[in-house]
Amino acid sequence: MTAVAQRVRTRNRTRLRGFLLALPPVLVIAFFIGLPVIAAIAYTFGYSGGINSVVAALAQKQHLVDGAAPTFDAYREVLGDSSFRTDLLVTVIVTIVTVVLVMVLSWAIALYARFSRGVLAKLVTALAVVPMFIPVVIASYAILTFYSTDGFTRTLFHLLGWEDSPALAYKMTGVTVGQVWTHLPFGVLLISSGLSSVPDTLIDAARDAGASMSRAVRAVMIPMAALPTIIVATFTGIGVLGSFTVPYLIGPNAPNMLGVSMAQYYQSFNQAQQAVVMAVVVFVLAAGIGYFYVRANAKSARGSGRL
Amino acid sequence: MGAWARRAGVALFVLAMLLFVIGPLAWLSLRAFAQTWEYPRLLPREWTLHWWETVLEDAQLGGAIRLSFVFAPVTVLVSSVICLPAAYAFARHDFPGRRVMLLSLFATNAFPKMGLFITIAGLFYSLKIMGTFVGVVVVHVLGTLVVMTWIPAAAFAAVPRSLEEAARDAGAGPIRTFFSVTFPIAAPGILVAMIMAFLASFDEAQGTFLVGTPTYITMPTEMYTLVLNYPEQAAAVFSIMLSVPSVVLMLLVRKHVMGGRLAEGFQLR
Repeated sequence: MTAVAQRVRTRNRTRLRGFLLALPPVLVIAFFIGLPVIAAIAYTFGYSGGINSVVAALAQKQHLVDGAAPTFDAYREVLGDSSFRTDLLVTVIVTIVTVVLVMVLSWAIALYARFSRGVLAKLVTALAVVPMFIPVVIASYAILTFYSTDGFTRTLFHLLGWEDSPALAYKMTGVTVGQVWTHLPFGVLLISSGLSSVPDTLIDAARDAGASMSRAVRAVMIPMAALPTIIVATFTGIGVLGSFTVPYLIGPNAPNMLGVSMAQYYQSFNQAQQAVVMAVVVFVLAAGIGYFYVRANAKSARGSGRL
Repeated sequence: MGAWARRAGVALFVLAMLLFVIGPLAWLSLRAFAQTWEYPRLLPREWTLHWWETVLEDAQLGGAIRLSFVFAPVTVLVSSVICLPAAYAFARHDFPGRRVMLLSLFATNAFPKMGLFITIAGLFYSLKIMGTFVGVVVVHVLGTLVVMTWIPAAAFAAVPRSLEEAARDAGAGPIRTFFSVTFPIAAPGILVAMIMAFLASFDEAQGTFLVGTPTYITMPTEMYTLVLNYPEQAAAVFSIMLSVPSVVLMLLVRKHVMGGRLAEGFQLR
């Protein structure tokens, strides 16, 4: 055997080994997530066979296929329901507002920590990461009591002389506060890490060339931290879209976010098909957001010659 | 004047952040020691430790705490076996489909968990793992795959190849090189991932509720009932107890988390 053929064989062997080592988590996901998701999508079009048979045997008010052609009746029912449309709108608004607030806060904190080496800057960063330490169930419950009618905010306003201040608990504003609270650490960590990778010399160079501080930030910092920014926006967006605990504990009965309506349709109304239709709608929205994440990653990998 | 205004602005921002982040936790903690506390008092009128006894003596709540401490380490162990070799492969081998496979893990995040759990029930029934220990572990492991692969993969990728090559040149075999060079350098990243996985299991409520009830009710699952059926003070006590392990574990890896180990993992290479 020639040396070249030998090398090609070794390379192929290590490639195969890499592939096989990387396979287990992908297989677990394909089997326990991919398969149920495909089954779920089939179920929304009226197919009740296979692993759907158990759920379909128990659920009520299903729209099942008559023959082989898919039926869109489940979608027609859910999308035609005005309370679903309100929930969808509420979900989208909470998602957008949360993403914007998390972005603004994360950037403000990261920028402050990047340029100020003081104790306060460290304190603010540490504060922003605290929510990561707290289980979401606890955080939601704590936020609920803090903003409830007998909570801290109303107590404080009462002592200051404002007797009938509003309570944020059981309202979508309270839910948004809870979402920002739980998603802030991820944003601050990623954007701080992105900004810390911008070398001082680059900023100094921009400043020496006569750029103002805000100009230097815009021209140097923002492009350098673009990838972490997009990661934060997409992960926060997807996380909020599908969230359950925060809106379930803090939010009102109706209208509420789709994560809660889904659980309600499944557990209280025993309408699994309608619940899964809602899940697919959220999934489509999340996939739309996920597309930006994938594209941004691919772009940045190409930019640094890694792809 | 301008400097003073800026300093005041910063101080105000720090104060607002303190209230926003710590306020709810402090407010809830106070409740755990409150006997009577009427609106609009800023502090409870009478204090007590009575609620701690109530919670500690409740057998059901104690069982939930124990179960959480069983599921979390098992989840981390299973997830490590599945993910860590893969993380190494993603970092060190180039093979066709590598990027697609890395990204496919991300798919776990995109489909709402609630919708997934509804159809997963069908799969679990046919595998006969509905309502079993294995079923709950599977649900917990599913929630950890992304962090357990991505963060260690970034940690392995950050180990300089030159160090590994130097060890190989000095006569170390591949296994020796891995355990005496690669692994120690990547260890902080792996530790961060393991603790994130531990906490994810510790925090998982929805799936455990759907798959595990009535046999396996963990702490966060119990919390949902607690909020609705017990006095507020008992829920507050339980909340503190549920937060302690998370806080301790996160404090252990705080430096690495803040130092960018977590952030690295989400920037796919």
